[in-house]
Amino acid sequence: MLSVNNIVKQYAAHRALDDVSLTVEQGKIFGLLGPNGAGKTSLIRIITQITAPDSGEVIFNGQRLNSNHISQIGYLPEERGLYKKMEIGEQVLYLARLKGLSTAEATKRVKYWFEKLEMGSWWNKKVEDLSKGMQQKVQFVATVLHQPELIILDEPFSGFDPVNAEIIKNEILELNKQGATFIFSTHRMESVEELCDSIALIHRSRKILDGAVEDIKEQYRNNTYWVEYEGDYNTELPSAIFDILYKDTKKGKTTLKVQLKEGQTSNQLLSVLLPVVNIQRLDEVIPTMNDIFIDKVKTKD
Amino acid sequence: MNKILLIIRREYLSRVKKKSFIVMTLITPMIIAGFYGMMIYFSIQGIKGSSNKIAVVNNNKTLTEKLVSSKNATYTYVNKSLPQMKAELAKTSYDYVLYLPEFSLDAPSGIQLLGTKQAGLSLNSRVTDDIGNAIRNQKLKESGLAQKDLDNLKSSVDIDMKKIGETGREEDSSAGASTIIAYVGGILMFMFILMYGIQVMRGVIEEKTNRIIEVMISSVKPFQLMMGKIIGIALVGLTQFILWIVLTGIISTAAVKIYADKNGITQTSVSAALQRQNKDKMIKEATDKSPIGNIQKSLANLDVTKIITLFMFFFLGGYLFYSALYAAIGSAVDSETETQQFMFPVMMPLLLGYTLSLSVVTNDPYGNIAFWLSIIPFTSPIAMMVRLPYGVPDWQLALSMALLILGFIGTVWVASRIYRVGILMYGKKTSLKEMIKWFTYKN
Repeated sequence: MLSVNNIVKQYAAHRALDDVSLTVEQGKIFGLLGPNGAGKTSLIRIITQITAPDSGEVIFNGQRLNSNHISQIGYLPEERGLYKKMEIGEQVLYLARLKGLSTAEATKRVKYWFEKLEMGSWWNKKVEDLSKGMQQKVQFVATVLHQPELIILDEPFSGFDPVNAEIIKNEILELNKQGATFIFSTHRMESVEELCDSIALIHRSRKILDGAVEDIKEQYRNNTYWVEYEGDYNTELPSAIFDILYKDTKKGKTTLKVQLKEGQTSNQLLSVLLPVVNIQRLDEVIPTMNDIFIDKVKTKD
Repeated sequence: MNKILLIIRREYLSRVKKKSFIVMTLITPMIIAGFYGMMIYFSIQGIKGSSNKIAVVNNNKTLTEKLVSSKNATYTYVNKSLPQMKAELAKTSYDYVLYLPEFSLDAPSGIQLLGTKQAGLSLNSRVTDDIGNAIRNQKLKESGLAQKDLDNLKSSVDIDMKKIGETGREEDSSAGASTIIAYVGGILMFMFILMYGIQVMRGVIEEKTNRIIEVMISSVKPFQLMMGKIIGIALVGLTQFILWIVLTGIISTAAVKIYADKNGITQTSVSAALQRQNKDKMIKEATDKSPIGNIQKSLANLDVTKIITLFMFFFLGGYLFYSALYAAIGSAVDSETETQQFMFPVMMPLLLGYTLSLSVVTNDPYGNIAFWLSIIPFTSPIAMMVRLPYGVPDWQLALSMALLILGFIGTVWVASRIYRVGILMYGKKTSLKEMIKWFTYKN
């Protein structure tokens, strides 16, 4: 649906994006990750046509990105705000009309969303009278109101309490089910794992990793297991099957983190332990997005 | 195009609905009308004159020429001593005691004017003049001039100022009124450009600090947002100006009507009485010479509609010219406190135009400086307003207007290039050098 090809963006002394390419597939939730200052916002600004790249191109639904696409993209920036003195209803209507909706259509949809998110009584309130979380809700509505095909959310959950975060998350999933594609930029890796189908990791203006979340995790599996048992096993003995990375014994229970050697399987690990101890748990250690993020960014540094 | 209309609509309505706008719009005409009323009231009071009764205690034997009473000061010679008069003054109907001691006519000294209240400046100069005249007349008589010759010396000089119009028709010149209209026009123009220019800047800063700018720019082009704001605020300014004129007109007309109704009878009776005293010529002169009579006479000669129309044109032109620059400043800063360093270079030409217009141009509305100030777009809105009441050749007007249009197209273009970069810059202190660099960015 969206492909970004060889984008370069140069600011005076600083190259914000250096030959970045990525593809977002229709109907997926795409995570755009990276440490602070990596160039995520620069990339999003190019996709939302706030700025233009120095070279490279963005293809949206098979066409070079142009101003006709504005109404098909919804953007919730990280630095977000509203006109403080304006009434909520009027404000959301205004933003929707700027995206090309007619007054009648916009009014209908604002009412629908306000109803759905229990914001009906806010219509005549001014923004300055709302709490931060409430403002975020208004902004979320303003972002999705014109039913964009592509919705870009920059840290959508910041400022929400867990209840409202859950509400917004469910709305995202529902919109996604209805066919909307999401680009999702966040530092909260647990929500990446929960929501994203695929990701791209940008670091120091370059893309250093991308792909489906499952594939990336698969790629980062390194044959490490948690083992928990009761009984005595001499961990000092050298083993041809595994290395012990971590050991902890409490109240006769031992927890080990082991890494299997090349070509070994978990069954072979069990065959060594089973005769001696009483196994209570065996888990494969699957790397979290958090681990992968830290690992990738650190090794690059 | 539709989007820019939406932005104009929001910018306009959000300001016009504000309480401060409504209050300002309603109160200002009342203040203007009140001020105008006060001016009329005081000048009428001035004509009627506050008569001061002065008792003259004359101890000077050389000064036999008596002081001549006028409408502001009536002199009555009393045969009492100074201490006596001093003691009795409060009980008598006199306001002041004038004491003329023994002095040589060549060096008059020791003259005193005493009163229960401090004599005002005008009375002071009146009395000084009267004594001076008496002494001069006395001296002239002593040198052998007859009273008849003395009377012959007086000749009333009255200049009738006329301007020859373009058609060769004589028009009553309106120097006084022109100056007033020029001042009012110049000050209003300066105020409007500054007030509304700064509103544009504030609006831009507000969008930046509220962080709504990024949402806006993902829907509309920066140029649309900037122009929408500028035009919306211009319409607010025009609304206010038109309302001021209409309301001032209504209030003044109503006030004049009420005043006339109340004073209609008194006025006729007064004039009848005056006619009886055969002094109507003097009164007529007094009314003609009074500032209000002059202003009213010459106001009729000024083409007010033309001035108002041109005011609106030059306001729009000057405002567009400067507000674009203000928008650029607003885009470059994070808060209003940071605007100072940029405000100065933008304010400079405006202030210069303002001060020069009110001093040099009003003194010499046809001179070289006046010409150039009213042609260069940086100062032309103010300078042209000031020149207008004195009459400006059509070709100069046309040139000035054309240059102003070119000028604001230029500033809008420059400003929009700075604006589109500036609005997305947060947290950095911007220098003028950096702004120039933004200007050269390609999009």
